[in-house]
Amino acid sequence: MSAGGLLAPAPTSGPAAGAAGSSQGGAEQPPPRNGLLVAVLVLALLATVMVSVLRGSYRDGPLEPDAPSPQGSLAAVRVLEDLGTEVTPQRRTADAAETLRAGGTVLVTAPNLLGAAQVDLLRTAREEGGGRLVLLQPDFVTATAFAPGVRPAGTTDEPTLLRAGAGCGPAAFGARSLQLRPVAEVSGHDTYYTVPDGAAGCFDHGDGSAVVVADGVVVLGSASLLTNDRIGTLDAPALALNSLADPQGLGWYIPSAGDPMSSLGPTLLDRIPGWAAPLALWLLVVTALVLLAVSRRHGPVVVEPLPVSVRAHELTIGRGRLMHRAHARDSAARALRSAASTRLAHRLGIRRETRRDALVDALAPHTELDAAQLHRLLGPTPVADDRELVRLAHDLDRLEKEIS
Amino acid sequence: MRISLTVPGALTALAAAPFLLLWPSAWTLLACALAWCALIGTDLLRTADPRTLRVRRENPGQVRLGSSADGRLLVTNPGTRRAVLHLRDAWNPTAGLAAQRTRLTVPGGERRAVAQTFTPTRRGPHSSRAVVVDSLSPWGLARRSARPEVPGTLLALHAFASRKHLPSRVRRLRELEGLAAVHQRGQGTEFDSLRDFVDGDDVRSIDWRATARRRSVVVRTWRPERDRHVLVVVDTSRTSAARIGEEPRLDAALDAALLLTALATEAGDRVDVLCIDRIPHVSVAGSSPRTVLHDVVAATSPVQPALVETDWERVAAEVAARTRRHALVVLLTPVEPSLVEQGLLPVASRLAASHPLVVASVADPSLEALAAGRDDAEAVYRAAAAARTGLERDGAAQALSRCGAHVVDAGPEALPQALADEYLRLKAAGRL
Repeated sequence: MSAGGLLAPAPTSGPAAGAAGSSQGGAEQPPPRNGLLVAVLVLALLATVMVSVLRGSYRDGPLEPDAPSPQGSLAAVRVLEDLGTEVTPQRRTADAAETLRAGGTVLVTAPNLLGAAQVDLLRTAREEGGGRLVLLQPDFVTATAFAPGVRPAGTTDEPTLLRAGAGCGPAAFGARSLQLRPVAEVSGHDTYYTVPDGAAGCFDHGDGSAVVVADGVVVLGSASLLTNDRIGTLDAPALALNSLADPQGLGWYIPSAGDPMSSLGPTLLDRIPGWAAPLALWLLVVTALVLLAVSRRHGPVVVEPLPVSVRAHELTIGRGRLMHRAHARDSAARALRSAASTRLAHRLGIRRETRRDALVDALAPHTELDAAQLHRLLGPTPVADDRELVRLAHDLDRLEKEIS
Repeated sequence: MRISLTVPGALTALAAAPFLLLWPSAWTLLACALAWCALIGTDLLRTADPRTLRVRRENPGQVRLGSSADGRLLVTNPGTRRAVLHLRDAWNPTAGLAAQRTRLTVPGGERRAVAQTFTPTRRGPHSSRAVVVDSLSPWGLARRSARPEVPGTLLALHAFASRKHLPSRVRRLRELEGLAAVHQRGQGTEFDSLRDFVDGDDVRSIDWRATARRRSVVVRTWRPERDRHVLVVVDTSRTSAARIGEEPRLDAALDAALLLTALATEAGDRVDVLCIDRIPHVSVAGSSPRTVLHDVVAATSPVQPALVETDWERVAAEVAARTRRHALVVLLTPVEPSLVEQGLLPVASRLAASHPLVVASVADPSLEALAAGRDDAEAVYRAAAAARTGLERDGAAQALSRCGAHVVDAGPEALPQALADEYLRLKAAGRL
């Protein structure tokens, strides 16, 4: 196939121009794409930060006193404070009990989460101090523990319009009609309670009442009386404000896992905001994708069988080390002597096979050493230690130097 | 074809984070996943198909070790889409390809070339194992890959560093041939011409018959016989794997074989080369004088040492099969006592009986440095070991000499010249 056979109509596709174009094309391509990527990443980061800043730093949750979200209760708290009630958000049973002992009012937003010890503490504190306790949708155990005789009579998950009956008494709290609607974040239904003798109940529905007042304990049957999005409907504000307002102060008690008295189970998860799980899952997926993309190999691993190669003198060095370790001084000396003898014989022009006597005779005129010394030097004289071997090597060197 | 995700493509999924923060639910998760898949899919649909690309190669061919060769990859994009390519040409590492990976853009209907420079670091054949072409999507979020079949080969030839000694040896060869008149008649010489007797000529070379025909005394002149047969046997067994200096013994042996080949070809002799250990590996036989050097270089470049012992009887059989009497046989094998004991000696004496035999051995110069060590006991023991090795080598060399072989033992740098000189000496002595 000739080079021209594949030429495209474009004028730049000659071999030389093609080669130049390839390097330029490769160099100019990546920057814009990287810029776009960086811009997208920065925008995503900015949007995330903006969203979290705009939300503000409040704790979101059902009936949280700081939360402006639909399920929070910031509206009720603000109005109560404007009316002169000091609202204290409380997370611990001990704080709530303190308020009760001081004669104040305590709202328990989730009485069902209280353990037996917490219930006992709150009850005794109320009996000692005479404070008022407002319970929001207590279950059977909690309700009967605080107000004997009050127990859930029925539930509904439908929006309900209730009117104050004739015998409401103090339980109406100045309200005439209520539009109740279950709050999904709290329980998902509204509860009605039985009214024992000596207690007042109002806003009847079926066998029970939505609001029961029994001996300083107020039981509210619906969370929609306090949440931001429902508190404005009909007479709910009147009921909420009248039942909670207290010049002695109001403790807004939200049972929490951080309470030392709490017996709640794996509650660390409760602290994690709602968006964390989906986001974590997504980040996990993204991390996996990035790892997958990074770990991709560009083509096969090329293995190449390389020829073996060993340094040629390894064997000799090994043999030297072996002789050293075995203290084979005599054999080392023999090798040194015969190598030196061979070289000397070669220099003197003697056949290398000749006996040592002949070599010594030939050497004698050329050196200061006498025949006996030469015999000792070149003959099989035993070598006592390593130092003597080194000296022997030096002596042989000196002899060779004299002859040369 | 495979589809894969790029890192930017994976990172775009982070853009879903604000949505998940605003509306944390499984549906948002699903919607984000679908939107991301749609984004990647859209990008992929607009990617040029790498399978339609035509990739062709201009092979680098052959190159001497130490120099560079150029090759090219030609990528043609017959489609209409612009192809942003990430190309990998997977050569083996010692082929010395400067850049295995290239980015290039090939507009639709055009062709681009990728220039490649090879500087091999190992003698022998090299090849490209695969060519991988990644086609990047327009937004760079994903890529499609293909592996076109583009075989690539490169033969890295022996460096033949000793070729710088060739001119001086050829000059000496010419001098030898010019001095033909003083040569005595003998084995390995042939009749050259008749000329007048001058003082100093050997009376034995007077051609009496020609003298009778003419008035003056005429002598015959002789010259080294041409068209002799030289067989170079290179031993590739385990002993040739040993590294001396920076390269294995085999490379030095091949260097010597190449110089001898070049010189003998200049002298008009026929050269055959045989690489052998347990089995004959490579042989160059009957090449014409013009091509023999190149044939030997090309044939020996893939030869590597094998970790086996040489079968000397096999060598003798191969030599007998390839030569007639009085062909010069050059054995390139280290003179080592163990090797000599393993059957080289009887084979050498048999070969030397019928052929002029040269045994050329790559000696290890580091032994001399070891033998001179006197610093401490350790060094002296090493020196003793080196001295003993040297004595054993001398003994083996003498044993071979007694068999009738000419032993050339020199370091890797000096061996080619030493072998060439030995050849010239034999030639001058009319021993071929």
